[in-house]
Amino acid sequence: MPTERELAISPIVQESVQHNTRVISNIRSLTASLFGIASGILGLESYAGFAFYLLGTFFVSVLIWAFLAKGKQGEYFQGPLSELWAGDVLGGGMSFVLTWTLFYGLVRA
Amino acid sequence: MVQTIHRDPALFYWILFPISIVMILTGVLRHYATILLQTTPKKLTLPALREQRQLLHGINLRTNYSAISSASFAARKNYLVSAYKNGDFLKDPDNRGKPAGNPMTDPAAMEGMMGMMKGNMAMMIPQTLIMGWINAFFAGFVIMKLPFPLTLRFKSMLQSGVATRDLDVRWVSSLSWYFLNLFGLQSVFIFILGNDNAASQMAQQMQQMNPSGAGGMFQPGQDPDKMFKSEAENLEVVEHEYILKGVEERVLGLV
Repeated sequence: MPTERELAISPIVQESVQHNTRVISNIRSLTASLFGIASGILGLESYAGFAFYLLGTFFVSVLIWAFLAKGKQGEYFQGPLSELWAGDVLGGGMSFVLTWTLFYGLVRA
Repeated sequence: MVQTIHRDPALFYWILFPISIVMILTGVLRHYATILLQTTPKKLTLPALREQRQLLHGINLRTNYSAISSASFAARKNYLVSAYKNGDFLKDPDNRGKPAGNPMTDPAAMEGMMGMMKGNMAMMIPQTLIMGWINAFFAGFVIMKLPFPLTLRFKSMLQSGVATRDLDVRWVSSLSWYFLNLFGLQSVFIFILGNDNAASQMAQQMQQMNPSGAGGMFQPGQDPDKMFKSEAENLEVVEHEYILKGVEERVLGLV
């Protein structure tokens, strides 16, 4: 944790932090829906589907890390682990389950 | 053993899609209704505005003190602290020390409560209506199979109206599709309405659980005199340090 003095010298701007979180949540919700569609069409069931989602999310996180953060995650996020790698995974999971169920129903059942 | 049920594919067109479309449109409607129902903040009178701004002035000075030199900080601090203690900025100086009035009688407070009520109504009414609509039209049969297994406890909820004892819990009725929509549509709303939409009731409920601090500064029923006093105390204990102190070494260290 940076001290008060360090924060005063190089302050953290709330707007930028919010912007970064918004970018992450936008990407997450889009990709979660797409992963849901993919796993529904593939006909994945139970654990395979959730594993597919987690793997896909990890892949997307790697892409964010490589292209958006250019490998320097510490410069963009205060807590890279919770904000970049695990950010909004649960919220996206809801959308994933929705599209997964829809396309599973449309294609298979 | 895998149970299969042969269903009419028209089930999808007449149940699944209508429910989804109605849920999405309700979300869009709720978003715009919330925008329309937002009342523009009432114009404050000059003393009331001064009271608010001067308190903000103190808070800003306390949070950004390092940006000004010690002498100017001390000058500002002394001015604000003495004015706070005298109650120079108070809206009605005669009311000092009297207990705050009942928030129910204060018109400004009533307005805030009305706004909250409106937001709640915009959430509650569509929810009840859609639940009733689904229960009235689409109850009593299974429409789809979930791709993941659930425990038996969900059977009574997800298969309500389907009195088949041996049916796998994965076969669910239309009400569960409604619940899936309720939780999962947030991402769809992000695409349609942008990121700070008011469409999803889930997000709104989260917001209500932890209200932001900015709005709560001038809550009804709070005594502004006491707030000024506490702000004066906060200002007095600030240990000032100028940010440009020792800047030469820092700049040289960068080179």
